[in-house]
Amino acid sequence: MRWWLRALVDEEDRRSIEADLAELYELRRRIDGEPAARRWLRRQQWIYPWHLLADRLSASIPRGIHMQHLWRDFRYSLRSLARVPALAATIVLTVGVGLGATTGMISVVRGVLLNPLPYADAGSIYWVYTDTPPFRFRFSVVDYRALEADHPALSAVAGYQAGQVTVSGNGAAERVLARSVTGSYFPLLGQRAHIGRLFDASEDARRDPSAVLTYGYWMRRYGGDPSVLGRAITIDGVSYTIVGVQERAVGPFENGTALFTAAHWPEPKRKGPFFTTAIARLRPDVSRTAALEMLRATNHRLFPIWKSSYQDEKATWGLLPLQERVVGKVGSRLWTVLAAVACLLLIACANAVNLLVARAMNRDRELAIRGALGASRGRLLQHLLAETTVLAIGAAAVGAGIAVGSIALVKAYGVDYIPRLDEVRLGAVEIGWLGLLTLASALLLGLVPAIHSSRLRLTGALAAGGRSASDAPATRRLRRALVATEFALATPLIVAAVLVAASLDHLAHVDVGVSTERVLTAGVSLPSGRYPKESDRAAFWQRALERVRALPGVQSAALADSRPPSDSGNQNNFNLEDKPALPGQGQPVCTWVGVSPDFFRTVGLKLEKGRLLDDHSLQDNVVLVDRAWADRFFPGQEVIGRRFREGGCTECDWTVVVGLVANVRWTGLDASQDGTVYFPLVDVPTAYFVLQTTTSPSSVSGALRQAVAELDPQLALSDVASGDDLMDEALAQPRYLSVLIGMFAVTALVLSIVGVYGVMTYFVQQHSRDIGIRLALGGDPSRVRRMVVLHGLQFVGVGVVVGVGAALLGSRLLESLLFGIGARDLRTLIGVPAALTAVAVVACLLPARRAARLDPSVILRES
Amino acid sequence: MGTSTLQHFELHVLLAMLREREETYSVPLVLALEKRMGRPVAQAAVFIALRRLERKGLVASRLDEPDTGRPRRYFRLTKQGIAAVKAQRDEHARLWQGLGRLLGERKG
Repeated sequence: MRWWLRALVDEEDRRSIEADLAELYELRRRIDGEPAARRWLRRQQWIYPWHLLADRLSASIPRGIHMQHLWRDFRYSLRSLARVPALAATIVLTVGVGLGATTGMISVVRGVLLNPLPYADAGSIYWVYTDTPPFRFRFSVVDYRALEADHPALSAVAGYQAGQVTVSGNGAAERVLARSVTGSYFPLLGQRAHIGRLFDASEDARRDPSAVLTYGYWMRRYGGDPSVLGRAITIDGVSYTIVGVQERAVGPFENGTALFTAAHWPEPKRKGPFFTTAIARLRPDVSRTAALEMLRATNHRLFPIWKSSYQDEKATWGLLPLQERVVGKVGSRLWTVLAAVACLLLIACANAVNLLVARAMNRDRELAIRGALGASRGRLLQHLLAETTVLAIGAAAVGAGIAVGSIALVKAYGVDYIPRLDEVRLGAVEIGWLGLLTLASALLLGLVPAIHSSRLRLTGALAAGGRSASDAPATRRLRRALVATEFALATPLIVAAVLVAASLDHLAHVDVGVSTERVLTAGVSLPSGRYPKESDRAAFWQRALERVRALPGVQSAALADSRPPSDSGNQNNFNLEDKPALPGQGQPVCTWVGVSPDFFRTVGLKLEKGRLLDDHSLQDNVVLVDRAWADRFFPGQEVIGRRFREGGCTECDWTVVVGLVANVRWTGLDASQDGTVYFPLVDVPTAYFVLQTTTSPSSVSGALRQAVAELDPQLALSDVASGDDLMDEALAQPRYLSVLIGMFAVTALVLSIVGVYGVMTYFVQQHSRDIGIRLALGGDPSRVRRMVVLHGLQFVGVGVVVGVGAALLGSRLLESLLFGIGARDLRTLIGVPAALTAVAVVACLLPARRAARLDPSVILRES
Repeated sequence: MGTSTLQHFELHVLLAMLREREETYSVPLVLALEKRMGRPVAQAAVFIALRRLERKGLVASRLDEPDTGRPRRYFRLTKQGIAAVKAQRDEHARLWQGLGRLLGERKG
């Protein structure tokens, strides 16, 4: 509450207000209890600035503003604006689009980044993770059990494992996202049941498999039927009893999730794997640093117990606010877009002010007559402000529509890469922002022309034929400053758009390393209930591959647990025989991709050295590595025959490298390549089919679906995508950003050009007599042309130079969004201003040519 | 005249101050007003009314800053303030004269 108090009252008042509020809070806490007192305090803090603002405003409204005048001005403004429809429409539309886009982005930024997660006291919920910089792993079940048993700094801990499951029975089999959660999960998040019950602490002791549906899934699959309680649901071949439906919730943990099962994780035999997410609520009296210390102490005690299966002594536990974990890296993108739309709004306002000043100049005579007839300066001001109010109301109406539309657009296109979009909405606060922005724009729009006009010298303006008073140097300077401002704002926007587009181009031309043409992929998951043994699963995959290979249009088929370019496999740690990790040092980590022997042929991945995998590779414990792996660990040396132990295991058999293949992008187009290990995929529960087709991939997907259904009717295909789809998916987010910023940049460019054209046209009009005299005295038309263009370029140049400075200042925000090009790329920083100046020259040339073609005799006769 | 622009809530605050007899600060006034009016009163409203009354010269204030405790702004009624309350009372009394009967009350 400090910052606004500081802005609105002086230091002494601020301190006494805070002291008084604290005293009242204390009193209320004693009488009504903590929660009520806290609510009261929040309310006081919320209403305070409004009270103060209202007080300020009521003190500043001058006496003598009358309602009937306001109404008359309002109607008059409507009529006078209707006479200049192009001008009115331009202002209403451009400012409206700026207002709407900015409001829309404010809604998104608030909903995604600023609002607390929709869980009870969300600010105190943290993600507890395994910390081995630069990596952040989830927990293993071992870690979670240790945390659960010993957490002095935390008031509650909960864990979950999320993954795709196959739901069958009651309709077709389908793949959905499920979370296996501990009994403490729902109580920690403060969630309640819509019907039935959720899991609680007693759940961990129960042994019967039970499931809770999310509200969305209950509506979708069961049509909101309350009789689902007690019914059975088959998840991965195991029958669960539905015990409840979760209340309607929009948090990131419910979004996209179909159901929750009560976690009964088997007792672990080794430290890994790290598939468990641990969340915890920090005790209010413990600081984050203190909590971290206590957590690390717990981990330190745990370490020796599991040393045989995990040696990374440097790995410790970390604590990150859950919100940061959920939002991830999307923050800088959203702030960039917000900055861009705010620039757009400012440009639109500058443009509108420019147009209005021009209009005010043309109306000097009218205003002067009104003044001469007895209208006070205040009345004239009020009259001018009424006009901008009408424009602002129009712009706000357009803005509201644009805001709704832009939020819908972001929701539709951003759903895959912006988290929490379900929580974004146009609420009271956002409407408030729209109002505030409208007010600010209206003040900007109204005050500048009004101040200009109130300085009007009546006699000067009335003197017929005399130079208009508003052609005063101050007004001319103002208009040029406005155009310079537009260019100063447009330059960084265009620079950003060019950089983002160049970055997208770099990404699109990244060599993925495998062929993506005529490749079809689709996931299948074998329910553990129906395929309990490794041999069952191996047999199924064998059978399935034979069946799929025989399909018409399929050239070759293989299995993989990952898909390039960004659906990466797991990361795994390992210890090299020839370069063992020093005691207490972290082991190297790289990407692990499981594939069937035919994978390399199917996707056209070239063997550089050694041999490929075969059907005995699993028993022989052999793997392939890629070029990046070889360069990272054995640069310039032989890599075939090297051995390592995986997963931190000290007693396992050695795994042997038997082949070297070219690099493939597995962890994203823009990710650095830290090496990949290819291991034989034989008896896993989940895998993707990877097919090389002879016709278009989409024409084969139907046959593939049918083949799988014939093998086992309870199986469902998931994530069907062609190689090109996967590339598109990987490029979708940067493309989205590029299109968005590109749109803003083009709008900014158009507005700036309109601005400079307007000013120069007016300049020529005002100076037509001087130009006419010059031409009459034998002046060279080409020199006239040059003079006009150079005059325009003066302020365009200032704007562009300032804009380049702004682009340099903003480069840090942009840096994280770029690939293959720096935010201070010299070519862009020189090319964009040059191109902008060239376009501005063209915009100035039109009025310049008109000036050079003026007929001196006509002009001199007219004046 | 200050009284002519005295707002409803400002009068309430002046009356509550009168009741406190000596100089006071916003907390007791909020509590007293809530008790008399039977509804919650925002501290912001009271504080702003006090500052507005101060601008009109009807109350005066001083900042008290004890070494250890919280800073407090104390307000007291000025002579003009008391005069304004009286003027309001007289004006109301004149306006109410003889109206009690019309409202169905026995004495007017």
